[in-house]
Amino acid sequence: MSSPIRTLTVGLVACRACGLLSRRVPDTQPTYCSRCDTRLHERMPGSAEKTLAWLIAAVILYIPSNVLPVMYVSGIGGGQESTILGGILSFWRGGDWPIALVIFIASVAVPATKFLAIGLIVLTLFRESDWARRQRTALYRLVEFIGYWSMLDVVVVALTSALLQFEGIGAAEPRLGIVFFCGVVVATMISALSLDPRLIWDMGRNSEH
Amino acid sequence: MSVPGSELLVCPHCDALHRSVVLGKHETAVCIECGHTLARHRSFTVDQLLAVTVAAALCFLIGNAYPLMTIDLAGMHTEATVWSAALLLLHGWTTLPGVVLAVSMFLLPLLQIALLLWVLIFARMQRRAPGLRAALVALHRSRPWSMSEVFLLGALVAIVKLSSWLHVVPGIGLWALLSLTILLTILSLVESRFWWSLVEASA
Repeated sequence: MSSPIRTLTVGLVACRACGLLSRRVPDTQPTYCSRCDTRLHERMPGSAEKTLAWLIAAVILYIPSNVLPVMYVSGIGGGQESTILGGILSFWRGGDWPIALVIFIASVAVPATKFLAIGLIVLTLFRESDWARRQRTALYRLVEFIGYWSMLDVVVVALTSALLQFEGIGAAEPRLGIVFFCGVVVATMISALSLDPRLIWDMGRNSEH
Repeated sequence: MSVPGSELLVCPHCDALHRSVVLGKHETAVCIECGHTLARHRSFTVDQLLAVTVAAALCFLIGNAYPLMTIDLAGMHTEATVWSAALLLLHGWTTLPGVVLAVSMFLLPLLQIALLLWVLIFARMQRRAPGLRAALVALHRSRPWSMSEVFLLGALVAIVKLSSWLHVVPGIGLWALLSLTILLTILSLVESRFWWSLVEASA
């Protein structure tokens, strides 16, 4: 099966917001979609650079988010600070393995998968590789799909702190780690949203057309 | 500037051009280049979508007016809602997660329901809603950041976590949040082509 025609080669450009096709105009003069008024770009400007910048920010924030405690719980026998990994481990040891698994997937597996997947896609874009386009696009869809599930731990800490307010018996407070962790989630989301998957299909095409 | 009468469909993931086809029941259109699902057979009517949106609005109201869960301990009582959880983080140095929580779990779901009601009520009267294009773009832009389903899972985890040493009672709010999540998921199945056809129908 031969490759289908792509919009750029026939002088068209598709709107990122509503999908309407417009005639391609040189990028020097700004043009807007006639249906939804969104600024038209052949490709999202600076996509790979922005994606990489936000990804680096996320990886840097990931370190304090795991080292610093995310929550402080005080009980009758004194107080204890816990990190994300520490929380998962205590659930696991306590026999609550389904909860340990849910938190592990949302807080560790999802961010790690996003780092690796976005990192791989961006690196191959900078190398102008035409390797495994279909698979890399599928990887992009995975990143899009798992998107915001890492916010789970922020919700759990907020709800636990709102509920556990029994002075002297049991009280919970958020700790600095949760701020960094929230930063990781926001940075990876902006990183994924900055990525224009069509770039994967632009690479190595110059010789073909 | 648009191409008149075009029956063309562009894959948003790889930029391949396809000719639109009419889909039969249970059929999906998949991009032959990158494998992205371009379209599914859907037969929503404006009336059905409006009904789902009104139900979502009611669930949103109930889910935020009643506590998600309560704890009674030694004569003391605490309860949590989406808003109280966000508010707790908002003051002090946890402002960033507080803002993210308030926006993504409260304000954006509210904005989405309000915009859908606005667009669909006018569509039902076969009129073009004022600001229709801006409303549809806002719906499109806010979708990745609207995450009430994450709040639902977080609430369930918090309940199981705390109930190992306290008696946590799930509240009416939790059931409303569960229903809201299901209804918003149904609404997210509607493809953008349906919404943009409202612009063309009334143009």
